[in-house]
Amino acid sequence: MASIIKETQSIKEAVTHINAIDLNKFSRLLSRILQKLHLKAERSFSEDEEEKLQSALSMDKQALSLVLETISFILEQAVYHNVKPASLKQQLESVHLQPDKVDALSQAWASAGPDAIEKFRQRIFAPKKLEHVGWQLNLQMAQSTRAKLKSPHAVLELGIGSEEAENTDKLFVEFSHQELLEFYNKLETIQAQLDSLT
Amino acid sequence: MADRTSFLGGRIPVEVEIMAKHLKDLDKDFFRKILKVVVNAVEGKDCRDSLKSLADNGTLSEEQLSHIITGIHGLLKEALRLPTSSLKQEIFKEDLRELRISEEFIADFASVVFGNRRASLEAAAVEHGPRLPTVEDIRWRVDVAISTSSLARALQPSILMQMKLTDGSSHRFEVPVSKFQDLRYNVALILKEMNDLEKKSILKIQD
Repeated sequence: MASIIKETQSIKEAVTHINAIDLNKFSRLLSRILQKLHLKAERSFSEDEEEKLQSALSMDKQALSLVLETISFILEQAVYHNVKPASLKQQLESVHLQPDKVDALSQAWASAGPDAIEKFRQRIFAPKKLEHVGWQLNLQMAQSTRAKLKSPHAVLELGIGSEEAENTDKLFVEFSHQELLEFYNKLETIQAQLDSLT
Repeated sequence: MADRTSFLGGRIPVEVEIMAKHLKDLDKDFFRKILKVVVNAVEGKDCRDSLKSLADNGTLSEEQLSHIITGIHGLLKEALRLPTSSLKQEIFKEDLRELRISEEFIADFASVVFGNRRASLEAAAVEHGPRLPTVEDIRWRVDVAISTSSLARALQPSILMQMKLTDGSSHRFEVPVSKFQDLRYNVALILKEMNDLEKKSILKIQD
């Protein structure tokens, strides 16, 4: 596998800073970054937290952001290429990261990596997405033009979330028994397509 | 006959009584034409042209014609409200005889209410009743994301659904595979509940 981390000037600089970090603090830093990795819009740490980190790690602002960006970059590359922990370990060694940091990083990747990759896979690009399914079953007894009815109806509630709006749109669709059966048959066809993929 | 109330109710609607009187001198063929137009109207078809041609025919005055049409409509509406299990053909005919409607016309009314158009008349009633939108058309697509900016090999399937509803609105949304399973499970569950409900005795009570 080709190298995912090239030993550039900024990597060299970041590695020096990382090597100076206390191992315990480094591990905590890592797990936080891994947790928030899939949230593109959010930074791993708030500005307040970054200020506290500066004093905790005795780094200036520039060095800290270099360290944070580099760790994120390494993990993002690992996600992108779906790197095996052993291969990541090898690559980290080749950019001269200290053995204890290499172990911490590759262990964190081994345990949290599959989850992080799955989170990225679930992030499909869609302006609108089905988020909630609810239903109600009614028995219609009469209506203005008909007496003594006994016909079951289902109302399906589809909650559709959109990327830009916070709240979900609700769609209410009514089905008679026959209509619901036809709808289910369509879903079965889709399921057959999905099954054929695996 | 004594104790039973007519299917038209304890007090016969005025428009039906007036209609019954007007039917006495009416030509049979013309009555059938009127009946056909009213049945079409009950089915929800556009009857403006056929009504106009009835009026232009000149057999009846506009007033007589409107009395007859209103009465036929009122009579059919009441008869079609009740399921055939509840209003038997014989009772229906008996009630119309009470109104002194001639046997020929009674037979025509009965053929509308109990004949093979009954199903389409009932379907029209359901369709024009109050209801939430239903699905008119569904189109779908299964996509597999091969690569993304974050993953060299994503291989993640998803479903794009386009649902057109009877209220004219159209909705397009993505269904993640996990949500699709959720939807499919729930639809299957409702179907099961419906089957159970239809088996229950509440639906077998005869009225």
